[in-house]
Amino acid sequence: MLLQIDNASKTINSGSKKIALLDAIDLNVEAGEFISLMGPSGSGKSTLLNCIGMLDGFTDGEYVFLDESVHGMKEKQRSKLYKEYMGFVFQAYHLIDELTVYENIETPLLYKNVKSSERKALVADILDRFNIVGKKDLFPSQLSGGQQQLVGIARALITKPKLILADEPTGNLNSKQGLEIMELFSELNKEGVTIIQATHSDSNAAFGSRIINLLDGRIVSS
Amino acid sequence: MIRNYFKIAWRNLAKHKVFSMINVIGLTIGLSASFVIGLMIYHDATFDTFHKDADRIHRLVSDFETNEGGFHNSGVTLALKDAIADNSNFELVSDFYIERPMKVENKALGLEFKLPNFVIFTDDDYFKLFDYKFLAGDKQKGLSNPNNVILTDERAADYFPKMTPSEIIGKTLVYNDSINVTVTGIVENFKGRTDFVFQEFLSSPTILQTRLKDNFIEKNWNNTNSNSQLFVKLSQVADKVAIQKRLDDLAKEHRDEDSKKFGDERLFKLQPLNDIHFNGDYGIYDWTKGQASKTLLANLALIALFLLLLGCINFINLNTAQATQRAKEIGIRKTLGSSRKQLIGQFMGETFLLVLFSALLSLLLSRWLIVVFSDFVPDGLSFELFKTPIIVVGVIILLLVVTFMSGLYPALVLSRLNAVSVLKNNLAIGEGKVKMRKFLTIFQFSIAQVFIMATLLVGKQINFLLSKDMGFETESIVSIFSPVSDSDVSKKKVYAELLRAMPEIEKVSLGAAPPASLSTSSSNVTYMNDGKEVHSELQFIYGDVNYVDVFGLNLLAGRIQRNDTVRELVINETYRKLLGLKTPQEAIGKTIFYGDESVSIVGVMSDFNQRSLKSSIKPMALKGDWNQSKYTQFNRVHIAIQNQNINNLDETMAKIEDAFKFVYPGEEFRSNFFDEAIQRFYDRELKVSKLLNWATGLSILISCLGLLGLVIYTTERRVKEIGVRKVLGATLLQINTLLCKEFIVLVVIAFVIASPIAWYGINGWLQDFAYKTSIGIWVFLLSGFGMVFFAVLVMSIKTLQAANANPTKSLKTE
Repeated sequence: MLLQIDNASKTINSGSKKIALLDAIDLNVEAGEFISLMGPSGSGKSTLLNCIGMLDGFTDGEYVFLDESVHGMKEKQRSKLYKEYMGFVFQAYHLIDELTVYENIETPLLYKNVKSSERKALVADILDRFNIVGKKDLFPSQLSGGQQQLVGIARALITKPKLILADEPTGNLNSKQGLEIMELFSELNKEGVTIIQATHSDSNAAFGSRIINLLDGRIVSS
Repeated sequence: MIRNYFKIAWRNLAKHKVFSMINVIGLTIGLSASFVIGLMIYHDATFDTFHKDADRIHRLVSDFETNEGGFHNSGVTLALKDAIADNSNFELVSDFYIERPMKVENKALGLEFKLPNFVIFTDDDYFKLFDYKFLAGDKQKGLSNPNNVILTDERAADYFPKMTPSEIIGKTLVYNDSINVTVTGIVENFKGRTDFVFQEFLSSPTILQTRLKDNFIEKNWNNTNSNSQLFVKLSQVADKVAIQKRLDDLAKEHRDEDSKKFGDERLFKLQPLNDIHFNGDYGIYDWTKGQASKTLLANLALIALFLLLLGCINFINLNTAQATQRAKEIGIRKTLGSSRKQLIGQFMGETFLLVLFSALLSLLLSRWLIVVFSDFVPDGLSFELFKTPIIVVGVIILLLVVTFMSGLYPALVLSRLNAVSVLKNNLAIGEGKVKMRKFLTIFQFSIAQVFIMATLLVGKQINFLLSKDMGFETESIVSIFSPVSDSDVSKKKVYAELLRAMPEIEKVSLGAAPPASLSTSSSNVTYMNDGKEVHSELQFIYGDVNYVDVFGLNLLAGRIQRNDTVRELVINETYRKLLGLKTPQEAIGKTIFYGDESVSIVGVMSDFNQRSLKSSIKPMALKGDWNQSKYTQFNRVHIAIQNQNINNLDETMAKIEDAFKFVYPGEEFRSNFFDEAIQRFYDRELKVSKLLNWATGLSILISCLGLLGLVIYTTERRVKEIGVRKVLGATLLQINTLLCKEFIVLVVIAFVIASPIAWYGINGWLQDFAYKTSIGIWVFLLSGFGMVFFAVLVMSIKTLQAANANPTKSLKTE
C-alpha cells in the first residue's frame, strides 16, 4: 500500500462560515496505480491532490503515507518525503522563469544534494529521453506550452519519484500536445510509477486504471 | 548549489535593473562612508601603540583649578622629577625639555639652519622608554655627557647630506653660535604612527649653556612650562592609587602662599600614552597635525551608521515590495523540495552578492572620498591601510552585518509564503508587511529631515557669527609678524615709519595680538573698592598709541595711554562693571594693583569680543610696552590699508613685503589678514557645516531613491486601476495626487517626528556659543516643505509617466 486516507476532510473559515472543501474522503492507493480524479470545477480535485502531495493538509482524519502518519510529521520530514517520493506536474507548468531548461530540471537534484557529476548524467539522460537536448539552454519563455510541460514532467521525474501528482497537466495544451503528454504518462505508469492526475477530460481520464469522481468535496463514485 | 544561487541572484539583479541600481547606490554610499570613517578611526586609534609596554607608559601633566575655572598644562614643574625619581611604582622616570635653538650650523660644510623644530634636551633614559632603532652610536650612553646629540636619520640627512650614519658620528654641530656639540648617535625615525615627532636629542646638561640655565639650576615648584615633559613607565605591579596619593601630597606640600590665598589648586595627573593623541586639553607636540577628536570620530561614525541604515532600509522595502514577483519561484522551489532554510540561504546569498558588488564600488569610491574629505581625514591617512589584516577582517564582518541587516527580514518574509496559495495566484500581501514598509520609510525620512534641519540651522549660526559686529574693524587690516629672533623694538619702529610713508596705507600700529585672537595674556589684579578687595583675572592686549585707531576701538571716556611705556591702562566696560563703577567717567583716575605696582586707569573703551563668539566678553585692558628697554611685547605691525587701494591688494602687499625685506634682509615674511583670522575661529564650525551638507545630500538621495523604488512598484501594480480611472475621466493631476498621496503622508509624519529631535540637537550644540542665532520656526517649515517638494518631484518621474500612458494598452494586457 502506497498511501491510505481514512475519513479525511478539510474545512476553511470564510468569514464566520465554515466551508468544507473535502468531506469524509476514504482513499487507498496501491503502488503502480494510475488514478484519474474527475469532477466539475470546485469539486475539490486540486485540493485533494495538494493534500496528498502534502503542500496542504487535511484538517481531520487520517493520512498514512508508506506506513507513516503524515499528520504528526514535522515540516522537515515532510520536505524529505517530497524530495524522496513525489513529483509535481502543474497545469501552468510552473517553471522558474530565471532558469534555463537544463537548470530547471537540475533544481530538484540540488535540493537532494546529488553530486555534480551524477546530476549531469541524470539530466543528460532525461533530456535525451524527452528529446529536448537541443532546448536545454533556452529559457521557459522561449518554449511552446507543450514543450514547457514536457520540461515540467522531466523535472518531476528527475528524482525518480514513486508518485507523480499532476493537476490538469494538459489543461493549457492543444489536443495533439495533450495526447502526447498522456501517452507519456501511461508509458511511465507501465514502468512502475504511480500517477494521480486531476482532469476534466474523459479521454484523458480513460488513460488511468481507476477513475474517482468528486462532487462538492465528496467522493461520489470510484 | 551555491553556484546556482549566485546565477539566479545575478539574473534577478539584471532583470530588475532599476531596483538593483537603487539598492546598489544606497548600499555603496553607506559602505563608502563606513570604509573611510572606519579607516580614520583605525588610523587615529593606532597612534603610538607600537612601543614596547605602551600600556605602562604615562605622561605626568598639570591640572589647575581656579575660581575662574580649570585649565590644563601638558608639562609639569621641573622640580617634580627628583621628587618622584625613587618610587618603586615606577620602572623608569624620564624627562625632556622642548626648546628650539635659534640656529644650528654645520661649519664643516658651511650649512646654517634657523630655528629647527622638534629639538629636545633629554638623557639616555628616553631611549630606554621609547625603543628607537640605532643606526649608529651607543644606545646605552649616547647622551651621558654634556654637548652630545643624537639625530634621527631624517634630520641627519639635512645637517649632513649624503653621509652614512657611521660617518656622521663624531662630527660637530654649533648651536646658537657658541655651543659645540658632538653627534653620538643616529636613530631611525619611528616607522609606525606616532605623535613623538622629535628629530634632535641633545644631552640634558647642554641646556645649562642656554638661556634656560637659571630655570634648571634652581628648579622652582611654582613654575610650570608645557615644554617641560615628564614620562614614567609604571612597574608591572604598580599601585595607581598610591601614585596619585603621592602626587597629591607633593602638590599640597609645595602649594604657594598666593594659591592658598586665592583658593587656586594644582594637581598632577598620570596621562596614559594612548590618551595623548586624543586629549585636546594637553595637545600634541606637532600642533600643525591637528588633534584627533573622539567626539568628531563618534559623530562621523554616527553619520556612517545612518547612511548605512538608510541603504539597508531601501533594500528591505524594495525586496518585500517585490515579494509578489518572486512568489511564484518560491512556490515552485518549495514543491521541488526546498526547505525554508534553503530558501533563506538563497535570498541571503543574493543579498550578499549585492552587498559585495556595492563594497567593490565603495573601495573605488573611498580612494576619491579620502581626497574630498581631506578636511576631516587625518594627515598621513592612506588608502594602503586597507591592506592591514585587521581592516580586511573588519570589512568582511561589516559586509556580513550589512547582509544580515538588509537581507534577513525580506528572506524571512519571502520564504514564509505558502506554496499552494502562491501557485494558485491568490497571494494576499500581508497588512503587516505594508505597515513595516511604512514604518521604515518614515524612519528614513525622519533621518533625512533631521539632517536638513541641522544643516540649515548650523548654516544660520555660522552666518550669524561671521556677520555679527564684533566691536572693531576687521576689513582691510593686515598684520605683519616681526622675525622671532628680533626682541628689540628699534627695527620695528623703522619698519613702521617706512610703512607710514606709503600712500596706500592709512594707519600703522605696533602691537602684539589683534583685539580678537586665540592667544591670551592675563594676570591677576586687585582693586580696592571702599576697603573691599576686588580680585580678578584681567586679560591684556598690547599696542602702541595708534592701536585703538587702527582697529577702530571705541573710547567711551578718558584718553588712551600717553606713550608706549607709561604705566597706564585702558579698560573695557566689562571690567568697569566688575569693579562696581557706575559710569565710565567714574573709572578714570582709579588705581589697580598689579603685582607690586599700582597702575592707573586712564580710559574706558566699549566692549568687544576678544575671542570667537563662542566665548563671552571677559575683563580686559589695553596696555603699552612697559619693559620696552629690556624686552618688547610688540611682535607685529598692524596695517590698515586705504579702502580705495584694496582692489590692487597684490601690489600693495608686494610693497609692504619689499619694505620688510629692506629692514630684515633674509628673514621670512609672514602676514595675516584679520578678517581671515577671524574666519579661522570658526574652522571647526565650518567643517561641521561641510560635513552636514554632505550627510544631508546623501541621505536625501538615498531616501528619495527608495521612495522612487516604492512608487515604481506600487504604480506598476495599479496600472489597471489607473487605466480604468482614466477611462472614467480622471485628470492627470488627480491620478498623480492619488498615487503620491500615501507617500506624502509618510513624509509629513517624518517631519513631525524629526522637528523636535532636530530642535533638541541644535539647541544642545548652540550651548557652546555665547552668542546664538534664533531657532526660527521657518527653518523647520522650510525643511518640511523642501522635503515634500523633493519627494513629489522624484515620485512624479514615475507617476506622471504612468498617468500619461494610454489606458487602452494597460487594459488590453490584462
